[in-house]
Amino acid sequence: MTSLKTYVITRVLLTIPMIFILLTLVFFVMRVLPGNPVIAMVGMKASQRYIKQLEHELRLDKPLWEQYVDYLNRLLHGDLGRSMIWGRRPVINEIMDHFPATLELTVWGFIFSVLLGLATGVVAGVKEGGKMDFAMRVYSIVVYSLFIPWFGMVLQLIFGVWLHALPVGGRINPLLTPKHITGIYVLDSMLTWNLPALSSSIRHLMLPSLTLGIVLSGIYTRLVRSSLIEVLGQDFIRACKSRGLPERSILFKHGLKNALIPILTMMGLQFALLLAGAVLTETTFSWPGIGTFLMERIEYRDFTTVQGTVVFYAIFVALISLIVDLIYAYIDPRVRY
Amino acid sequence: MKRSGISKGVLIVIVAIIIVIIAAVVLSYKQPSKQTTPTTTKPTTTPSNATQQAQKKYADVIVIGTTDKVSDLDPANAYDFFTWEVFYNTMEAPLGYIPGTTKLEKKLITNYEVSNEGKVYILHLRKDLKFADGTPCTAKDLKWSIERVARIQGDPSWFVLDFMEDVKVLDTYTLEIDLKKPVSFYPAVLAVPTYAPIPSSKYPPDKISSDNTAGGVGPYKIVKFVRDQELILETNPYYYGASPKTKTVVIKFYKDATALRLALQSGEIDVAWRTLNPSDIISLKKNSNYKVWEGAGSYIRYIVFNTKMPPLDNRLVRQALAAALDRQSIVQKVFLGTVEPLYSLVPKGMWSHKDSFKDKYGASPDLELAKKLLKKAGYSENHKLRITLWYTPSHYGSTEADVASLIKEAWEKTGLVEVTVKSAEWSTYLELTRKGQLPVTLYGWYPDYLDPDDYLYPFLHTGANRWLGNPFSNNTVDELLDKAQIETSQTKRAQLYEKVQDILADQAWIVPIFQGKLYAVSKRSVGGIVLDPMMLLRYYLIYKQVSG
Amino acid sequence: MRSFSSVFSGIERALSGAGLDGYLVIFGSITVMAVLIMAIFANYIAPYDPVQSVGPAIHPPCTKYIMGTDSIGRDVFSRIVYGSRTILTVVVMSTGLSMVIGIPLGLISGYMGGILDRILSLIMDSIYAFPGLILAIVIAAMLGPGIYNTALSLAVVYIPTYFRMIRGEVLSLRERLFIEAARAIGAKSRRIITKYIFPNVIYLIAVIFSLNVADAILTEAGLSFLGLSVTAPTPDWGFDLKNGQRYFLSGIWWPVTFPGIMIILLALGFGFLGEGLNTIVSKRGE
Repeated sequence: MTSLKTYVITRVLLTIPMIFILLTLVFFVMRVLPGNPVIAMVGMKASQRYIKQLEHELRLDKPLWEQYVDYLNRLLHGDLGRSMIWGRRPVINEIMDHFPATLELTVWGFIFSVLLGLATGVVAGVKEGGKMDFAMRVYSIVVYSLFIPWFGMVLQLIFGVWLHALPVGGRINPLLTPKHITGIYVLDSMLTWNLPALSSSIRHLMLPSLTLGIVLSGIYTRLVRSSLIEVLGQDFIRACKSRGLPERSILFKHGLKNALIPILTMMGLQFALLLAGAVLTETTFSWPGIGTFLMERIEYRDFTTVQGTVVFYAIFVALISLIVDLIYAYIDPRVRY
Repeated sequence: MKRSGISKGVLIVIVAIIIVIIAAVVLSYKQPSKQTTPTTTKPTTTPSNATQQAQKKYADVIVIGTTDKVSDLDPANAYDFFTWEVFYNTMEAPLGYIPGTTKLEKKLITNYEVSNEGKVYILHLRKDLKFADGTPCTAKDLKWSIERVARIQGDPSWFVLDFMEDVKVLDTYTLEIDLKKPVSFYPAVLAVPTYAPIPSSKYPPDKISSDNTAGGVGPYKIVKFVRDQELILETNPYYYGASPKTKTVVIKFYKDATALRLALQSGEIDVAWRTLNPSDIISLKKNSNYKVWEGAGSYIRYIVFNTKMPPLDNRLVRQALAAALDRQSIVQKVFLGTVEPLYSLVPKGMWSHKDSFKDKYGASPDLELAKKLLKKAGYSENHKLRITLWYTPSHYGSTEADVASLIKEAWEKTGLVEVTVKSAEWSTYLELTRKGQLPVTLYGWYPDYLDPDDYLYPFLHTGANRWLGNPFSNNTVDELLDKAQIETSQTKRAQLYEKVQDILADQAWIVPIFQGKLYAVSKRSVGGIVLDPMMLLRYYLIYKQVSG
Repeated sequence: MRSFSSVFSGIERALSGAGLDGYLVIFGSITVMAVLIMAIFANYIAPYDPVQSVGPAIHPPCTKYIMGTDSIGRDVFSRIVYGSRTILTVVVMSTGLSMVIGIPLGLISGYMGGILDRILSLIMDSIYAFPGLILAIVIAAMLGPGIYNTALSLAVVYIPTYFRMIRGEVLSLRERLFIEAARAIGAKSRRIITKYIFPNVIYLIAVIFSLNVADAILTEAGLSFLGLSVTAPTPDWGFDLKNGQRYFLSGIWWPVTFPGIMIILLALGFGFLGEGLNTIVSKRGE
């Protein structure tokens, strides 16, 4: 297991330059161009003196490189700093307020897309080159091209406005908000056995997570398909066939099972796409997640918060792919690092 | 063999997930799809003791949705409309406004006297004032709070610093405020929440306390605040006045107007407050399940010309653009008639308002006049006036792009103007404006206090308009405005302000576009919403009848 | 003329063996060509000025305004026709820029190796691993709206795509015999890259391009939906979709539906084209 340990350490160390590069890019793009959080926050009525005073408090009057070094130094100590506007709360608290909403949405979107992707991918992969294969390939391109805001709005119109079946915005009925444990409402309401809250949060989740799930399922269709085709072409499957095992059993017991391992690794890579799609989904469904939060803080040029959110995204993406790699290493004994 | 075992595990996990989803879907459909009244009548927070049975016919909880946000819960630093609305309900100032009017009424004081030619104010506080935690509130607390604002020097501190020389406690319930110079509208200033007393035990004396929910003396107290999500208010048992009909008020914050409308329709909220889309207001008006409340607004929108930048330093050019502006098309097309055209910076309904721009340029666009003026300024079909119009895409709502497009269209109808439209996000927009780098900009104004002074002085007085990039200065206007500030007779002040409005129409430094109306939409069972130029909801007046 | 007909017969031959994938290519190219024609001849196709109100606001589709009018009475169809110019300009500029930067860097980095390769790969991988739209949002918001700024922010996001694919291909080519031979006879690195390696990655570039453009279209539309791409009154599909959103749930479907369908169609066109070509090329390879 020591080799695994070194591997994990290397991977973690490798995320540091990644964060550093993205942060540097964002830091300078943001500060060199006009616009600053103080003016955005206080609005047009504030006096020049007051603005100067706030800029001084936020150290925005310091030279750029000094601010940069200062920020990196804090970051090294695990401090994302404080927001520059509205209450100047610690950035990490702000992020943690909004992150559970995004996590809830992406996890459900992920589940939907994997399920849809598995179903369509298996249909496609069973008979390569067949009509169903072609249909599923077309499916994968079509759903991927469905522009998320448009698709989301169509679902809102059908299920929200015409059928009155599902709510089309927000996370939960405000009066039912469960006790805060994880911030993930479905989980919190299950933990506190609060059924009305569970029902309300699931109903609110349906449309956004379906939108995200359907659009991204196309990617999984392709992954499952190509991985299944590869496995089905291997010798041991032929051996099974020659032994006269039933098709279905070959497919599910041997084919799919072995195809799942490479699919799993690819999932980690797709998580970035899921997060990007979540930004559009959140905007369309007024979902109070980290994407809508980032958009708002960009508008106000809340430097520290935008930087912190970028760092957070980077760490999150790196973490997911690390976890997936570890699971892979655990499942597939051939892999050794 | 090991491998197959683990894969089986993976399959089991997947099957489990499927089962959970199916269960969830089934569960979610068991709930009746319309969940309107039953949830809201249920007291989710502690039902407080005394008057419970007397108020049985009113719902205990009312949920209000808004797209606004709380900026800072410290009165020494908050300076925006919505946060002030919360303050008006949780921390009263010495004075306030009678709901539905622009008349001042006494809140925390029983009386006040003005002496020394308007420079000294003596306030007599009520003797039964208590903060939300039950500790008494006296003149000492008021003095401490006012001095705290001055010490912290936050955004709204000018309400104190610009006017006040000194504040003294005369006895437990009497306070003296000495002004630097007589200010005719100082009682209106005493109604802003910056003058609200807060408990010195709960607020740090020289630091801003942004998420502080301690509050002051008001009909409600804050029991929970989750930024950008919700704010929960409960009646303050120690309030001196009558207890409100609704025990708990929940404010829900929404990202945009669409979300707000949907929340109303799904029954999540009882009242949709600012700001719904015009099209939603129109369509909800036709729906008998909802009540649409309408009131005069004191919110104005206008175009600012940077008069230091050619060709806008030319008065003829500005006049021509003012003449060509098509207010009706903006009001009708973009806002579907939910706003009113405005022909002065002082809004209609406020005393001293004069339709100066209408008098000078007519109510509808006068293209002939505009052409004549432009030709006089030396422009022709071959030598068009080229200007750049800036707008900001989200701060004033999603309608702003359409407003800019229509202004461009109206100006180009003269055939002598070519308009380039550009946009910048709010912070960039403000910064560039302040630096005087934007030629033509669109802005909006919410008043701080209801007095014509607040609609003219900050725009037109030399130095006071620094936030617009110091675009112009005019001695006559300065004199008139200074004179009106110390004049005590309202008739005389009105005459001065009318003169200023006429000069503005002639100079056209700033061109008014429209004035907002106020809308709130509620469920049928909701009553007690009073909308007036204060542009705030008084939660303590709102109630919801429970059927059956 | 000869070369022309040979091109056609080439296409015919290519499609004849392609089966269903041939249809994908045909559908894809027709869609893309249609949008291209729409963009080039916009002033002949569009019945009205796209930035002038020409009728009553929010008028439903009728014979006079075949796709209705928008919030301030502009013709939706005319805006869609002109909007194709905006999205195509941005996408072509951004992919062009990412290719111009990404491909040479990939070639050099892959061929040279060493510390330069390490650094470049690290930078590119960092950007690649990060959610693309989010990075584009941050950059576009800071640069401010405008066609060039949007193209620039998209380019930053897509440079790593080209870099990584090209670099990977070069790494495997480098070990091939003909390259070794060229090196043995003393050819300069520069010459090897341009004369021997580059021609061998051109087919790959075509495939990445068609797949990448579909992605870039969706990202551009996403940016302008978020209000970060163009300034009013420029016609743009994503922007118009956003502008129509506030009416959509009151039942006014046309200002949203049509731009949305166009975005999807264009992305689909490139997606099908890429998928079809990819399959056909790989079948050939076998």
